[in-house]
Amino acid sequence: MSTPISRAAFLKLLAALGLSAATAKFLAESKIGREWLSLLQQSTNFSPKFSCRILGPSQKVGHLLRGKQKAGPISNSRKATVTIIGGGIAGLSAAWWLKKEGLTDFVLLDLEPVVGGNSVAGKNQISAFPWGAHYVPIANSESKYVRQLFEELKIIQGYDASAEPIYDELMLCHQPQDRLFKDGSFHDGLVPKRGLQKKESDDISRFFDQMISFRQAQGSDGQPAFAIPLDLSSQDRQFTALDKISMAQWLKDNQYETKPLLWYVDYCCRDDYGSTAEFVSAWAGIHYFAGRRGTAANSEQNAVLTWPQGNGFLVEKLKEPLSDNILVNVLATELKEERGKILTTYLNTQSNKFAAIESDFVVLATPRFIANRLVPDYVQSPVPEYVPTYAPWMVANISLRQLPDGQGALPAWDNVSYYSQSLGYVVANHQEITTRFKPTVITYYFPLSQQEPKLARKALYAASTEEWSKSIVKDLEKMHPGIGNEIISIDLWPWGHGMVRPSVGEIWGESRQSMKEPRGNVFFAHSDMSGISNFEEAQYHGVEAAKMILARRT
Amino acid sequence: MTYALLITVFVISTCGLVYELIAGTIASYLLGDSITQFSTVIGVYLFSMGVGSFLSKYIEKNIALTFVQVELLIGLIGGASATLLFLMFNHIDNFRILLYSLVAIIGILVGLEIPLLMRILQQRLDFKDLVSQIFTFDYVGALLASLLFPLLLVPYLGLMRTSFLFGLFNLGVALWTIHLFREELPWRNSLRSTAFILIVVLVSGFAFSDRLMGIAESATYQDPVIYSTTTPYQRIVLTGNSKDLRLFLNGNLQFSSRDEYRYHEALIHPAMASLNKPQDILVLGGGDGLAVREILKYPSVRSVTLVDLDKAMTDLFKSQEVLTRLNQNSLNSSKVKVIIDDAFVWLRSTPQKFDLAVIDFPDPSNYSLGKLYSDTFYRALKKVMKPEGLIVVQSTSPFYAKNSFWCVDKTIASVGFNTTPYHAYVPAFGDWGYVIGSLAPFKTAKQEHYPTGLRYINSDTVDQMLCFAPDMLPTITSVNKLNNQSLVHLFESEWSEYVDAH
Repeated sequence: MSTPISRAAFLKLLAALGLSAATAKFLAESKIGREWLSLLQQSTNFSPKFSCRILGPSQKVGHLLRGKQKAGPISNSRKATVTIIGGGIAGLSAAWWLKKEGLTDFVLLDLEPVVGGNSVAGKNQISAFPWGAHYVPIANSESKYVRQLFEELKIIQGYDASAEPIYDELMLCHQPQDRLFKDGSFHDGLVPKRGLQKKESDDISRFFDQMISFRQAQGSDGQPAFAIPLDLSSQDRQFTALDKISMAQWLKDNQYETKPLLWYVDYCCRDDYGSTAEFVSAWAGIHYFAGRRGTAANSEQNAVLTWPQGNGFLVEKLKEPLSDNILVNVLATELKEERGKILTTYLNTQSNKFAAIESDFVVLATPRFIANRLVPDYVQSPVPEYVPTYAPWMVANISLRQLPDGQGALPAWDNVSYYSQSLGYVVANHQEITTRFKPTVITYYFPLSQQEPKLARKALYAASTEEWSKSIVKDLEKMHPGIGNEIISIDLWPWGHGMVRPSVGEIWGESRQSMKEPRGNVFFAHSDMSGISNFEEAQYHGVEAAKMILARRT
Repeated sequence: MTYALLITVFVISTCGLVYELIAGTIASYLLGDSITQFSTVIGVYLFSMGVGSFLSKYIEKNIALTFVQVELLIGLIGGASATLLFLMFNHIDNFRILLYSLVAIIGILVGLEIPLLMRILQQRLDFKDLVSQIFTFDYVGALLASLLFPLLLVPYLGLMRTSFLFGLFNLGVALWTIHLFREELPWRNSLRSTAFILIVVLVSGFAFSDRLMGIAESATYQDPVIYSTTTPYQRIVLTGNSKDLRLFLNGNLQFSSRDEYRYHEALIHPAMASLNKPQDILVLGGGDGLAVREILKYPSVRSVTLVDLDKAMTDLFKSQEVLTRLNQNSLNSSKVKVIIDDAFVWLRSTPQKFDLAVIDFPDPSNYSLGKLYSDTFYRALKKVMKPEGLIVVQSTSPFYAKNSFWCVDKTIASVGFNTTPYHAYVPAFGDWGYVIGSLAPFKTAKQEHYPTGLRYINSDTVDQMLCFAPDMLPTITSVNKLNNQSLVHLFESEWSEYVDAH
């Protein structure tokens, strides 16, 4: 009567189990089952359930400049005292200053459909959000133009008895400001602080002590060692010599060896300069920590100002009074001299027609690799024009059904992972004063800092929208398991030339000094003339260009 | 037949382990300390299986019949075990007695299964094959259960549905066995109908387990849940018995109808009665209309503007009869205008000016609520006040969270209000605090200015409320700002201290 069961029969039995059949039926027919199956599918073969789009600056139109056709039949031409080419913060600030000083006869040209440059912002049903620059630190006392603008825009609402500026508190970054994901959970602040060895925490506190003394240091010329704008910094060689070595070298020379500190400094270099500590000049690296000396009556030192749309807020305010002056969707193709004036030819990218402006002065408020293509022959410099390098970035705005909490500290404005090559994400709705739980938008920043910019730029454009989305979601999943299910949409914005890189020797070498020289009546204004890319530097060069024009006019 | 019976071993061993895991998990959910709960549940379960195995020797004849009966019982008891444990948790004094009895009963029944099956199979297999195959299937089934349970069953089905599902498998085994032994089984038809009835019971349990969960939730409230809804902002639960009506938002008690008059009279009258013919009143939060009820006791009032975020909440208090009786239909008064908006956002945009602003927000337990207690908020509030106007702010408990309470006071003072802190005893909450902010120095009202018919407030109680005992004085002072959120930090640490200590 014995019927021994063979191994094969046993396996067959297992496969045929009524249990598994019932489970499979259940999985296929019930809602929960389908969800589970789709999850399984997702984890094996990624096919996003949300929409992803690639947006970004008009790469193709920009590249027209490389082509031969610089002019065609001019459909119309007009006159203006000044032509500003480029509507980023530098160009807008030049316009702001000219208008303030009573010169209203100028035209500002921008290639994009909207002005803003790196401070451009977007908006969807959920929130406005930044595509690039997203905050400005409260202003140092020497940052005169920044203060002046902030007063005009009522960002600074007044001064208290001890002359400390009072800032609009809805714009000062609300708490909690930042948190770091490390060892499986978040803690507040971006400096690693949990579970450190004694040597690791000693390095961190020694580093910050050293940064504070740099912050307070003055050169033999009486100037602050590190100023904003950086052109106001001391020329004392004991500080400028720091530009000759890399930040990584400086850390090594000062016996900083432990990983948490090295990670933090590297993170800061990637955050501010899109480049690693290996490449960033030590002077620039230290400037990040020692430059900001802003104080306020109603905030901590070095607080930052931010808005849902990032620095797009400042762009909106700057462009508001300029509606008669701004022309968008136009590509400046050529500058030449005619009857002692400068004739700017531009292509309207919508109508495909050329037009021209005749003006006394031109401000080239574009990155230098574009400006150099436009500088007319008659004022070309005898030496080859210098062009700095620019780090490519990928920025993603991700709409979420809800923001996942994550382990540890609650969601902050800036949320960073110790383990990611990205800079983490910023929550666009952070400054909102509502108590609603609702969808949110996070802005994810990824500088392609691990490769030379040229190679990195290729990689930036080579990967498809899906590939980028996939790698971004994968990166976020490490901080927030399951975040993929909360995503409504991902919009991507590749910046081919995101930010100028302050490489070793960039800040205090001769090349940067040469960039500031006007060529005849053609002036330059861009943050790349500082070697670092931020609001204050861009604004400084814009205002300085406007001032030089006003001085030359009289 | 042999194959069929071995599949049975596999299924029943899976079911058996799942019941054990369910009991262990529920015990750790409800009683805490998962190590103790799992150890004791497993211990009792295994021991009971031993008892079951021991008892199996007393079953002499008709083993198949007993096996079917055992399966039917396990199907019912095991299948309903999770629901039973959840539902009974709040209704019995000693949950552990129920827990271990249930575990023991299931254990004994499961302990009977394998010995009975072995005896059924005895005639069909050699002893060595019998032992090897029975235990192979038994242990493989156990492995499957232990993997399915945490990975698939708990996350996607939940505990209640899982137990119903596995009860159904046991019933399936019973039916299958009835079919296999159809020749030799007595009362075949009645066994089969019992099995089908039980299947209907368990399938309905599975289908309606969400509703059952709702009943289990209501069991976490003292009184019957008479209304509950989930809005985009919160879960609103209303419980009631003949004497007491309670409102819970996200599980936190908002009021008890037995003493809410104390809370609301104390919130409104000290400020309201001190004003000379107040006309335009603003209420931020307070969608229950109870503060408005107190405000409408002053005939001078011309308009009450109530700003609340949750339309479901104000609609509920406009329409449900038990609630309109409680708030005396205040939200339907022609003087009252209900605005559904974020208070802070609305405040910054309104051109209106008010004699009194009543701020009745939830406690500052998270950062978005913390913003509603910031100096920036009070500055915005100051802009909508008439020069003689007053604000009054519910300010958490000066006993449980004294530094939080004084932080609210200091924050209101920091934007230029004169502050008058006071507190009242509300049995459902404990000692509760309020702060009046005035632009001119504040003076309490004379007795004749209070409306008649108040149950708690008169000029004497108000004088008492102004006095703070030494244990309510602050040890830390700070101003709550958007860029420091110090109140949320204080509140969190103070309440967690209190919760930890009790």
